[in-house]
Amino acid sequence: MTADPRSDRTTPPGGNPRSTARLFGHPIHPMLVPFPIVCFIGALVTDLAYLGSANIMWSNFSIWLITVGLVIGGLAAVTGIIDYAGDRRVRTAGPATLHMILNICVFVIELFNAFVHSRDGWTSVVPTGLTLSIISVVLLGVSGWLGASLVYKHGVGVRS
Amino acid sequence: MSRAGFAAGVAALALAAGLAGCDDGGAKFDRRTQIGAHPVLPEPHQYLVPPIHVAKVVGWGPNEAPTAPGGLRVQAFARNLNHPRNIAVLPNGDVLVVESQGPNLEPITRPKDPIVSWVQKLATGQSGDKPKGETNRITLLRDADGDGVPEQRSVLLSHLNSPFGVVFADNYLYVAATDAVLRYPFTPGQSKITAPATRLTELPGGPIDHHWTKSLTLSPDGKLLYATVGSNSNITENGMEAEKNRAAVWEIERSTGRARVFAGGLRNSNSPNFYPGTNTLWVVANERDELGPNLVPDYLTSVRDGAFYGWPYSYYGQHLDPRVRPQRPDLVARAIPPDYALSSHVAALGLTFYTGTNLPAQYRGGAFIGEHGSWDRDELNGYKVVFVPFANARPNGTAQDFLTGFLTADGKVRGRPVGVTVDRSGALLVADDTGNTVWRVSAPR
Repeated sequence: MTADPRSDRTTPPGGNPRSTARLFGHPIHPMLVPFPIVCFIGALVTDLAYLGSANIMWSNFSIWLITVGLVIGGLAAVTGIIDYAGDRRVRTAGPATLHMILNICVFVIELFNAFVHSRDGWTSVVPTGLTLSIISVVLLGVSGWLGASLVYKHGVGVRS
Repeated sequence: MSRAGFAAGVAALALAAGLAGCDDGGAKFDRRTQIGAHPVLPEPHQYLVPPIHVAKVVGWGPNEAPTAPGGLRVQAFARNLNHPRNIAVLPNGDVLVVESQGPNLEPITRPKDPIVSWVQKLATGQSGDKPKGETNRITLLRDADGDGVPEQRSVLLSHLNSPFGVVFADNYLYVAATDAVLRYPFTPGQSKITAPATRLTELPGGPIDHHWTKSLTLSPDGKLLYATVGSNSNITENGMEAEKNRAAVWEIERSTGRARVFAGGLRNSNSPNFYPGTNTLWVVANERDELGPNLVPDYLTSVRDGAFYGWPYSYYGQHLDPRVRPQRPDLVARAIPPDYALSSHVAALGLTFYTGTNLPAQYRGGAFIGEHGSWDRDELNGYKVVFVPFANARPNGTAQDFLTGFLTADGKVRGRPVGVTVDRSGALLVADDTGNTVWRVSAPR
């Protein structure tokens, strides 16, 4: 361990920040986050397909993707918050707070998006549903990048 | 950094408030402005969670009955039926009661479907008030002495596929099941039919079969049948291919079964009837949901050969529905506004023109309409039988409440009227599918 933590942030004193929500030693949060990421990006793609075709099948795909993204994204949020609360070093590790706030924003936006997508016909997607899908995918890109920083740069959950 | 996150959070909440903030404007809306030829049509609103109000079903107590104006007598003609939806009267005076339930063919295509179907079943009394016995049959009631108390009751036909319409002509009984018009050899006086049916004409049934009630009437010359076929969705959310030959009135040649679409664009029309002494066909129709508590008014209209009445592209003429793509400007351009609005979401299902002499003279030549009642607006609407006066074979005047009391003072449901017809003595019969009763309204003797 280095004497001055500011000289090497990747190895803070006492080892890397620990993940609290683990399964056989593996952090659970990173196992769950691919589902909402893929589902919400997928819903944007199927929204665009509906915009281009007016084929109702695509809007049905969108609402299923959003629903599954919300369910597993909700579980990912719970494990993420457990990790955030479980180790002070996680909270102070770089962008953890912003990562959390952005993801909560994505969850709330997609929750509204699910209700908008539950309308009947064209206005279940155009324009409000599609707009919400675009906003949440953009936010998701930023928060996903920050989440990766937490692991690859700040070593959250990485065995010391 | 966290300031940016805070800003995003505020933006999300503001968006949420904006979406949820579409108020329904329903509390102050005067429903009477949506009765008659020129209803007030507010701007359409779309919701995150559309208003839903399913009233609790309490049923009728042993001494309770609906109330009619002017001291008219209301009695239970038959009780303990199993979801009676429609009534027909035979030439010998026998009363046929069609007891029926939907075919339950709708697949789950979206996460909202199980929730909505549960709500709608509550609203139609199929879940909270499930028929305890056998339904999808026709019960015959014989009141030979005309005192309003049938002496004989028998099951004329059973194991039908969600029947609704029934018509007698020339020693045949025609039954509109949800997937076909069936023809049975039948002589009035029979109390049971054992002969097999001929499938005269196939009708659009499954898949989906969202609006499943197919009603029937006979043309004045007796050569043609008219069948109503409702849409397969609220507003095309099951795809346009599911709507082929639906949302229409069909004309069927009685001798051959050959059929054609007589008129289209009628979302869910029911109870076709020719105005007495004319060749003009009338229906009542249920309009689309989820555009607000005061859109779109259900209606009574005459139906012209080859005409188009708007669904799904527009309502009341050229009012475009924003939910339908691709639009059809060619059809919208010739969409005909219906004749007479009945107020929004009243669920008009029953229609009969009064030609009897038992009820007071003011009712002669007018229309009785059974309004099953709303589920998708906060303030309950319908749940009664109304009377629309006619003059010169056209609606003339404001609809009047005729049979009420289907709701309790605290907004619970005793019963819900559906089909209406006039019996041999001139009394009005009303099928109450939630109260499992047929009511008879007559002048006191």
